[in-house]
Amino acid sequence: MLFRIDPSLDETLFAQLVTQVRLAVAQGVLQPGERLPAARELAASLDLNVHTVLRAYQLLRDDGLIELRRGRGAIVTARPAADHAKLLAAIDEVVREARALRFSPEATATLLKEAFSS
Amino acid sequence: MTTGTAPARDTRRRTRLVGLTVTIVGLVILAVAAAVALSWRGDLPDPVATHWGAQGSPDGFMSLGAFLWAGFGLGALLVLGFGAVTTLWGQSAVSRRIGAATTIWVALFLALVQLGALHAQLGLADARGAGDIGGAITLATVGSLLPAVLVGLLLPGDPPQPAAAPVSPEASRVPLAASERAVWIGHTGAGPGIVLGAVAIIFLVTLAVIIGVWGLLIVAALLAGVFVGMFAFTVRVDETGLLVRSSAGWPRTRVPLDEVLRASVVQVHPLREFGGWGWRVGRGGRVGIVLRAGEGLLVERTGGRSIVVTVADAGTAAALLNTLADRHRHAR
Repeated sequence: MLFRIDPSLDETLFAQLVTQVRLAVAQGVLQPGERLPAARELAASLDLNVHTVLRAYQLLRDDGLIELRRGRGAIVTARPAADHAKLLAAIDEVVREARALRFSPEATATLLKEAFSS
Repeated sequence: MTTGTAPARDTRRRTRLVGLTVTIVGLVILAVAAAVALSWRGDLPDPVATHWGAQGSPDGFMSLGAFLWAGFGLGALLVLGFGAVTTLWGQSAVSRRIGAATTIWVALFLALVQLGALHAQLGLADARGAGDIGGAITLATVGSLLPAVLVGLLLPGDPPQPAAAPVSPEASRVPLAASERAVWIGHTGAGPGIVLGAVAIIFLVTLAVIIGVWGLLIVAALLAGVFVGMFAFTVRVDETGLLVRSSAGWPRTRVPLDEVLRASVVQVHPLREFGGWGWRVGRGGRVGIVLRAGEGLLVERTGGRSIVVTVADAGTAAALLNTLADRHRHAR
């Protein structure tokens, strides 16, 4: 899968990694049983400290999204796909409504963020 | 900066030199084997045994002259064929190495098998008394593979051939902010080839046990080693370019960003385009790391070279490779 890091963003680098893996699993780009790159290789390619990647992997493991196995690396674990399907369907709905009302993606995202903090 | 044509001419000269050299060396090996066999003429029966049955006793016979001509003729045909493939399709270091190694291997193998078969008949009055040559065939297999692999490993790789032209503007791109860093990593795993490999190894081991030619186990072990290296690869696209690396660590190959002309997605038919699965040379000298049919990443490279890797999500990999190559050209 594609990993991208933007140091100019406010979001910490390890959080950017976590978000991408979460999204990839939710969208089915990463399937259960698939292997994430070795932390050292990913860190070298993205010019990151290896501890940044390991921290992201540990957080994903604590969330139950991946399993860390000595020697085999990080493996995506099975997740109930139905949960994501519902969320993705709801997001489709939000996008459709936002377009119908001519809301910009930014304005819609702001609304979503406000809904989370309430 | 170098222009696009000069390295291409260098490549052609180097490829021709390697192709011609291995062809001549292959023919010399065959000629030397025939000369050695002729020098044994006085100690060989007439006719000589030229074919052995499953029980390990000879069941086919020929005059020494006919046997040597047949062996030399077949050998020369194969050496000229593989030599021509090396000369015409050896523009990539990988193709050149595989072609050269195969040319040397086929010459040595035929020469050693022929000499081994004749050696078993030295001092015999009647060729029907010749013993089993299983040991000689094992010796020929191992004795021809090792020098051939050495030839492949010792041949020099390609010198850097940076592109003069920009990356093809029609090729796909990934929108990437100037401050963003990106990497794409994919895996390609066992396809139909692994089944064939397993069948071949089981067959060899069974054969070794049944006919008692334990040397075949060495061949099975060599084959197993090849399959371990061949049937799972990591594919990576980042600031250093494209890297394809066996899970065993070797073999591996790299395409630096400054040699990328265009990356795209293609549909791959391993059998039709590459004659099988694994790390191969295909039509026109294209290098293929092809483990299954279907989606693959094609990278067209300077010096008339190209490489195909069968991997899922190849579209993203191609777009990122084009984007990073662009960025590298502009940074220069």
